[in-house]
Amino acid sequence: MLEPVELKDFFIVFFSGAMVIMAGALYALLFAWSRLQSKPWMMTLAYLSYIVLFISVMALGSAAHLTGFWWWLVITMLIGYLLAPHGIWKLCEATHIDEVPNKVQPTLPPS
Amino acid sequence: MSFEHLNGGQQLAIKYYTVAIGLFVAQILFGLLSGMQYLIPNFMLGLLDFNVTRTVHINAMIIWLLYGFIGSVYWLLEEESQTKIVGLKLGNIAFWVFTIAVAIVVVVFLVVQSGPGDDATRWFINEGREYIEAPRWADIGIVICILVFFYNVAATFSKGQWSGIAGVLTLDLVALAGLYLAGMFYTTNISMDQYWWWWVIHLWVEATWEVLVGCLMAWGLMKTLGVSRKIVTTWLYIEVALMFGSGILGLGHHYFWIGTPEYWLTIGGFFSALEPIPLVAMVVHAVYDSGVKHSKANNHPAFAWLIAHAFGNFFGAGVWGFMHTLPQINLYTHGTQWSASHGHLAFFGAYATIIIAMMYIAAQYARGQSVFDGNLPDGGWKWKWSLGLLNLGVVGMTVALLISGYEQSFIERAVGGSTWYGYFAAQTHPWFVEGMWWRMVFGFVTAAGIVLLVWDLLTIGKSRKAKETLETSAQTA
Repeated sequence: MLEPVELKDFFIVFFSGAMVIMAGALYALLFAWSRLQSKPWMMTLAYLSYIVLFISVMALGSAAHLTGFWWWLVITMLIGYLLAPHGIWKLCEATHIDEVPNKVQPTLPPS
Repeated sequence: MSFEHLNGGQQLAIKYYTVAIGLFVAQILFGLLSGMQYLIPNFMLGLLDFNVTRTVHINAMIIWLLYGFIGSVYWLLEEESQTKIVGLKLGNIAFWVFTIAVAIVVVVFLVVQSGPGDDATRWFINEGREYIEAPRWADIGIVICILVFFYNVAATFSKGQWSGIAGVLTLDLVALAGLYLAGMFYTTNISMDQYWWWWVIHLWVEATWEVLVGCLMAWGLMKTLGVSRKIVTTWLYIEVALMFGSGILGLGHHYFWIGTPEYWLTIGGFFSALEPIPLVAMVVHAVYDSGVKHSKANNHPAFAWLIAHAFGNFFGAGVWGFMHTLPQINLYTHGTQWSASHGHLAFFGAYATIIIAMMYIAAQYARGQSVFDGNLPDGGWKWKWSLGLLNLGVVGMTVALLISGYEQSFIERAVGGSTWYGYFAAQTHPWFVEGMWWRMVFGFVTAAGIVLLVWDLLTIGKSRKAKETLETSAQTA
């Protein structure tokens, strides 16, 4: 069921694994920042990060021989990472919708 | 100094924090000894062997984090429930029983370093399960103390008022106490034994502890940034759902090579790949909040440690975890220094940081200060340096161990085929040896950080006129 990683692909596997998470986080970060600041050019950078994520997942999938069932893992990761920031952003908006500016609560001992 | 102005739960929390810090120091000291024994194998041989120093290093970490969590919950209990703590006397007794038991267990670990693997050993000396080596009598004691803690928490919220944080916290404590039972029975089948043992290790760390941390983070954000309760509670629910959704079956990544059925490869791989999703959610949410609120923190050290927590959790658990979690990769990395690299950054980043943040919140309140800001008498150099040294030390150790682990995976596992020849070839390879030396160097950096941290926690805000500051603040609020 598992085909071990070839020696020559060792570094690719670890590096692409790390890049999946790093590019995923960068995509989420730039996506959120672009929406927040209303800067469409930043959204381009966000989707560029997603392309890096896409390449990383493909590199990981190829080097780690993610075929058969594991191919679905690759697809799920790609779809999940693409949609997650959109969904989370909507949740952010929904949870903050009726928020009033909040002062910092001083930590006072009981009187 | 006097803590009379603190409520009962907070006074108990101070006791837990004190022991936690003592054990944190012990963790680092025994970590330094273990690291040294990698470099000089004969160092303290026969006096304190590697298996003992490593056991104390790891167990001290687990127990100090547990003390930190319990202390943090006691700290917020009365404020969150809006009533006096129920069963405080029992809570105090449990604290002393727990502390005496921990002291006895450590002394026994140090005095009785070898012996037969029979029932007497399991009951009174060492249970032999990595990370939870405490003997059976201490296991029972731990469960009883956690049940007392649960009683304090559940009864206090029941008497006072429930909140989202209270509900999640109370249910989480049921799981915390219940899951520990899975590591308390003995079976001669090593696969079965490991199967249940991972319930304690993984489900504690990647489920119940993460949820506990979510509760503390929610409360900490309300305290330091003034984020509204509705928002932190909603996000707590979302994060708990995401963590449980991915973390519980992520357990499968520990079942790859212990003799469990092959389907665990699929389950473990799939759900482990989902585990970073909550972390991505946190990134989006953090950006949203920081962008729309522009709030100023009233406790700079606590807030800095909360930020360290967010980054540490992301890199330690997310990046370092995912790099070696798929079975195709884990085949080579399992049990190498790669795991140690992940463990160092993840435990520090996800748990130590937030407990230190809670300690600073407690210090602010205990010293009667309305703020711990940039106007601290010494400019706050101690907390800034301890933050920098501890983070630099842990990140340095993580990278050093990563290099050693990479070399081990390559030379010992892939090329050497996990043979003795491969093992020794890897252990003597320059990359491994130099990685271990650098780990030691950064271990000392971490030790310098903890010295400053302890000094700072003992002194921060002491020289300011506490009551005056509070009264002024209360009048202006």
